[in-house]
Amino acid sequence: MSADGRCGVDDPPEVAWLLCLASLPRMGPRRLDGLVAGRDPASVWSDIVAGARRVDAEVIRRCGAEWTAVRTGWVTAAQGVDPASVWEAHRGRAVLDRTGAGFPARLVDDPEPPAFLVVEGTLPEHEPVVSIVGTRRCTGYGRDVARSLGRDLAEAGVVVASGLALGIDAAAHTGALEVDGAPPLGVVATGLDLVYPARNRHLWEQVAARGALMSEHPLGTAPTRWRFPARNRILAGMADAVVVVESHAGGGSMHTVASALDRDVPVLTIPGPVTSPASAGTNRLLVDGAVPVRDIDDVLTVLGLSGRRRSASMAADPARVEVPEAGLVVLGALDATPTTVDTVALRTGRPLRALHAELVELERRGLAAQEAGWWRVSPLGQLAAAVESPS
Amino acid sequence: MLAEVPSATVVGVDGHRVAVEVHVTRGLPCFSVVGLPDVSCREARDRVRAALVSSGFEWPMQRITVNLAPGGVPKTGSGLDLPIAVGVLVASEQLKPEVLADRAFVGELGLDGSIRPVSGTVPLVDVLRSHEVVVPAAARHEAAWAGECRLRPIASLSSLAGALRGEHDWPSFGSDPGPAAPIPTPPDLADVRGQPTARLALEVAAAGAHHLLMIGPPGAGKTMLARRLPGLLPPLGPVERLEVAKVHSAAGLGIPAGGGSSPPFRAPHHGASMVSLVGGGSAHVRPGEVSLAHRGVLFLDEMGEFPARVLDALRQPLEEGAIRVSRARASVEFPAQVLLVGATNPCPCGGATGSSGCRCSTHARSRYLRRLSGPLLDRFDLRILVDRPPAESVLGGEAEESTESVAARVAAARRRAAERGVVANRDLGDKGLDEHAPLDAAARRLVVDALADGRLSARGARRVRAVALTLADLVGDEPPLTLDHLASALALRVELASMVEASA
Repeated sequence: MSADGRCGVDDPPEVAWLLCLASLPRMGPRRLDGLVAGRDPASVWSDIVAGARRVDAEVIRRCGAEWTAVRTGWVTAAQGVDPASVWEAHRGRAVLDRTGAGFPARLVDDPEPPAFLVVEGTLPEHEPVVSIVGTRRCTGYGRDVARSLGRDLAEAGVVVASGLALGIDAAAHTGALEVDGAPPLGVVATGLDLVYPARNRHLWEQVAARGALMSEHPLGTAPTRWRFPARNRILAGMADAVVVVESHAGGGSMHTVASALDRDVPVLTIPGPVTSPASAGTNRLLVDGAVPVRDIDDVLTVLGLSGRRRSASMAADPARVEVPEAGLVVLGALDATPTTVDTVALRTGRPLRALHAELVELERRGLAAQEAGWWRVSPLGQLAAAVESPS
Repeated sequence: MLAEVPSATVVGVDGHRVAVEVHVTRGLPCFSVVGLPDVSCREARDRVRAALVSSGFEWPMQRITVNLAPGGVPKTGSGLDLPIAVGVLVASEQLKPEVLADRAFVGELGLDGSIRPVSGTVPLVDVLRSHEVVVPAAARHEAAWAGECRLRPIASLSSLAGALRGEHDWPSFGSDPGPAAPIPTPPDLADVRGQPTARLALEVAAAGAHHLLMIGPPGAGKTMLARRLPGLLPPLGPVERLEVAKVHSAAGLGIPAGGGSSPPFRAPHHGASMVSLVGGGSAHVRPGEVSLAHRGVLFLDEMGEFPARVLDALRQPLEEGAIRVSRARASVEFPAQVLLVGATNPCPCGGATGSSGCRCSTHARSRYLRRLSGPLLDRFDLRILVDRPPAESVLGGEAEESTESVAARVAAARRRAAERGVVANRDLGDKGLDEHAPLDAAARRLVVDALADGRLSARGARRVRAVALTLADLVGDEPPLTLDHLASALALRVELASMVEASA
């Protein structure tokens, strides 16, 4: 293998055997690590093909009662794998060995480092990295915040890392791609050739083209439940700070938070409405001592970069905003949580048809936002309402 | 000797005249029926023989041939029993041929000689209206729905023979108003508390005949709202009333409840089969729920639960106002001009209020809504959110506007549509919209913006314009349409695609 980690035409290097091992069924990063600890991956592989008789005792102990089934699975699968063709399939991709060049320095000292990484694009080296994580079932508020946070951080030269899932993950990267800033980083839980979820294909390609995608799985690895929490530890390990935008109580983002705490990575969260289930987890984190984030400056302060950029906050300048006279009452009746027009009508007492026109006007000025008939005040609208309110 | 008796059979929802020719001649005793009779029609032989004998007539021990002309139309049902029996009596000279002058017969015979009602009485009488029609006594109220006709209700074969021979008068059944069908009080809009958007949507749906989709959690009152829509529609005119009565009669349902002048309301369950919804059946092609809702409201609750195939089958009738059902032996057309009202939960758990209270996965949610999407969804000009009303509005003291006063505005709007040459604004084509629904500058900008955002498709923009015109008609505004009209029309058209995206 050449120094830059790219596959060559010569005989399979050591990392090729790791790829083969990792492609076996029920092979997680921890088992893989145990198998090759202090041993040559090539000899581990030939042992498994021959019936897995010399496997490390510690691995067997941790498998417990499952061991027989695991071993049968490994041996059967291994006998059907041709290492040369596995290696061949990765030709042209950067496969980084933990001990080789190019492997991210932050992950070398990780308590549970991946044995290898398959990478597309260019990994960040010196830039600060912030992982933005959160629920897939986010609200409009969460999406807005994740997006502006992603955009502002990228603009301030901070690499935005995320898992390319739906919801918050996608919103953060969408924001980061909106500006010509630091390159985004996607850490995924499948092989790099399998886009999951398929709906994010465009985003996935954009991130690969403008930043980097990384995975600790060989190509062809399908999405499996347990791979997502395992991936989250890499998101935490790569980051200088983790920002949780929205999370349900007990949501998957809590895995990332736990991994971050294990690694002494600061955890920041976005406060949300106490009535919103999508913010139950994040609000809990605030109670537990996570750093609240109001705008990008709060994040930059934690990173020690507070001088880097005075942000204009997540909203625009309220001084520039004009609120139409009639719209002010309507604006006051809108919340950050979406409501129906009926509720707004009840709160304001305005006739429905007049209200429709006023809402459209507010939307046009960017003060209110509508999604499938649910109306909420935009961050800009909140500021405007505060400035204009008579009190 | 030969006798020819006028009668009719039902094909689809229409009556077709049938001449029942009976020929009695010497030969081996035999009784045959030819001319495309179906099974129940062929069984007439046995019923007719038994009925004649039990009514005291003589069964001619001769060769009897019955021909149902025209031979090409398949005859269904037992309504031809009575004309066959009368034909046999005339042909065997037990009745004089004069009794057949200007007289038609419809009815099923019992073995004891009683005359029983048949389904499809209204279309049968309708097609025979140039004759005096002898109908089963039990079907006289139904038959009266055919309008101005000379009816001779009769209960048994022996009393029929007596009346025909002039031995006694035709039995009188008085002019009793019919089985005191309790006319259900139509639900009133005044009972609906809060829900201003839904009220407006119902009014617009009634005025412009725009199909309406309601999206909301269980318990939000979607069914309650839908039931109030027929009351807002203009009452049926004489022509429409006959159309509706024919469909219901052909389906064997008698006359629709509510006295027949209020538009029908049909709410088939989502377990309904394709045939029960659009009509069909192999032997006797019956109208389905879509046709039973003709000139009225078809309400599909839990629309996402209907099989996709069934929903797809609704597209053609919605487009053309009629359904053509083709079978090997016949092809019939049923009327199907309905106002479609759909209701659906926003997601499988039904709890999506805002975008936060839902427990469904993104995938489940988008899959659920995708079942509705596509061409059928396109037919809904009005798509509204119906949320559970907040407590304060449920207990609110002020009475809401009643059905009566809303219906008056609807009637006025329909009159304005009639001046444009259409029944309702839904029927205005591109040309009609350009002529009758010009936009002012602000309204135009709003539509252009929505098109540019991708919130509206080109087709959507046309439909929004039609709805905006209806909104203007309801308050008596003259064109051009203003921003207010367009803003309301847009607010009454929630984009389901964005509900899916909302969670992406």
